[in-house]
Amino acid sequence: MINFLQYMFFYIIFSLPLTLSYRTTKVINFVHANFITYGAYVAVFLHGMFGNTSILLAAIIAFLIVGSMAVLDNLLVFTPLQKRGSSPAMIMISSMGLWIAYRYILYMLTDIAHFYISKNFVSYGRITYADVPSITLGGVTLSQSFIAGMIAATIVILAIYLFLEKTRIGRAMRAISDNEVLAGISGIPKDILINLTWFICGGIVAIGGVLWTSFSGAITPEAGDSMILQVFTIGFIGGLVSLWRTGVGAIIISAMENIGIAFLNAFLGVPVSFRPFLTFATLITTLVLFPPLGAGGGLPYRFRKRRLLK
Amino acid sequence: MAHVGSSTVPLPSIRKRPFSIKLIVMILIPLIIGVALGYGIAFATMGGGGVTTIPSEKTVYKIGFTLPLTGELSSIGKIWEKVVSLAMEDLNNEVASYGFNVEFNAVVLDDATSDEKALQNVQSLSQQGIRVIIGPAASSQVKVVKTYADNNKIVVISPSSTSPTLAIPNDFIFRTVGSDAGQARALSTLAYQEGARKPVVFFRNDEYGNAFAEFLEQNFREKGVTISKLSYQTGLSDYASEVATLASKVQSEGADSVILIAFDTDGANILSHAAESEILSKVRWFISEGPHGASELLAPAVGKFASKVKLYGTRPLFIANPLYEDFKTRMKEKFGIEPAVFCDNLYDAIKLAGWAILRAGSYDGEAIKNTLPEVAKTHYGPSGWAMFDAAGDKAQQDYGVWAIVSTTEGYQFKDVGVFERGSVVFTEQSYP
Repeated sequence: MINFLQYMFFYIIFSLPLTLSYRTTKVINFVHANFITYGAYVAVFLHGMFGNTSILLAAIIAFLIVGSMAVLDNLLVFTPLQKRGSSPAMIMISSMGLWIAYRYILYMLTDIAHFYISKNFVSYGRITYADVPSITLGGVTLSQSFIAGMIAATIVILAIYLFLEKTRIGRAMRAISDNEVLAGISGIPKDILINLTWFICGGIVAIGGVLWTSFSGAITPEAGDSMILQVFTIGFIGGLVSLWRTGVGAIIISAMENIGIAFLNAFLGVPVSFRPFLTFATLITTLVLFPPLGAGGGLPYRFRKRRLLK
Repeated sequence: MAHVGSSTVPLPSIRKRPFSIKLIVMILIPLIIGVALGYGIAFATMGGGGVTTIPSEKTVYKIGFTLPLTGELSSIGKIWEKVVSLAMEDLNNEVASYGFNVEFNAVVLDDATSDEKALQNVQSLSQQGIRVIIGPAASSQVKVVKTYADNNKIVVISPSSTSPTLAIPNDFIFRTVGSDAGQARALSTLAYQEGARKPVVFFRNDEYGNAFAEFLEQNFREKGVTISKLSYQTGLSDYASEVATLASKVQSEGADSVILIAFDTDGANILSHAAESEILSKVRWFISEGPHGASELLAPAVGKFASKVKLYGTRPLFIANPLYEDFKTRMKEKFGIEPAVFCDNLYDAIKLAGWAILRAGSYDGEAIKNTLPEVAKTHYGPSGWAMFDAAGDKAQQDYGVWAIVSTTEGYQFKDVGVFERGSVVFTEQSYP
């Protein structure tokens, strides 16, 4: 049960930015997996090389570094491709290329770090942070990562909600996601906002990565890759446009992975290795039942609904 | 200029030509560079591959290595890399002191603890003309490599593959470590002696884990104990839900102990999650040799858990071997690290490989395959007597017991006992 909640926090932090980035930038971004991994590795390097035990500091630095990485991606790869008239599929494939490149760059970085500080960074143990308590409530111990995850997920949800609803910049972002041409005409600086979207999305995912280091027993450069399936499934349940449906998706997938597989194992003897299969099955079901892009029905779903009502 | 979406439509023909010239140039230049590099490399490695003879100078033999520098055994793999450099240096010095005008060079490749990569590495090493390869580490990898090695007459010496299913005579696979048939006996005796009467075996679903679990089941049955088995898929990034399933199994069956058969990354992950489980912190834990030496297990979360559940593990270790102590001191002096599991087996594998090549007189796979057991018969090293049995595995293998103890420098691995004459004898008390 605790695992279910824990994973739910993680999935919320990982998938909300994916939905946000897709609906504003129309790029299906595979580098998302690397945001998670690089966020985790910022924390790992800070801990391994400088002995940092403050999760807050690691989170802030990770936010900045990975956010800038995301903006660089956009500036150097996605925007030039879009200017040359590439189709979204081409850009998605270019993001796959970046995904692989980033992974091996990280391998190189860990090797270089190993050369200087002879610790093995390719597989790094769990980090226990000094500034997050672990609370015991009524006989159940809530670990550090649980508390930190809860706080972070709540802050992320509140922040995204307030940002998109209340601030002008947030509303401008929503305008771009709904109808780019109109947004451009009404004087919204699209390029700056798109870069800002990348920065925020990359940053939030990086914070999730930092939290991952306090939860997972061993962190490798492939850490984000193994979760990318679940994160995209959740994104598709939200149609990659609707943020609250993404949140619901996070709850569903987390429940299936933790509670669902436990039931199946206990009552039907299904081996635990079936866990990814459940996620795959959900992904395929969602895509088949709600084309073209999951439960949200693609862009612009709000307008599509109104047309049907007529 | 009108913006349609965020793309601009380029004007035809005038804009296109510079674009395409750039493209052609960008393709040609790397092509030329690539071809030049290829020629250069081929030229440098030409001339018999594994052997180059420069008249009136040393004969150079190449030994190939496929090590798990990344992947689930990366922590041990990184320590092995250092053992390789130490062993090659020792081998060259020893050979020179006997008056041979010979030098051995190591060619190290990373196989990411994956089966496919291990096979690829063996293939590319053999294409370079190398006929003796040390590695791969995991039993599943050795299984995959075996057919190629046998068909192409390449001697493969694995220092750490322990699955009894690969104990096959008359092939080109040799293993300088005893099979898990022996370790299962040691581990089951350890658990039984410590009071385990209802153990759950939590093991990797691969060659190594499956075989180990079966032998554990047999050994426990001989003692009159029935075990429960739970396997987990390998290669996942996180095992939290697997550990949760383990916890519910332990609870529902009223188990009193867990025996974990794992590698580094998965082992550390599982132990960290187990540390947070009330149920799993109340039972005794025993562990195989897989994660020994991995620094992830020395994280405070795991170290505390280890003392709470009095974690003991077994590993291949020759009892009271002065050469091992010597090896340990030299590793500490030169690299500042303690040798992990199989480092001694690796060291001896390298020494054996070198001497087998010399004794064969020619760098030929078949010849080396025949001289290797002969050399091993009289070789004594940090891993003890190197003699092979009929299947090409180490004939005499002792086992030691290790624990994770808290010292002034944090948590460390410590050898705290031995498996001798059918029972476990503790040489020191590690958990108060």
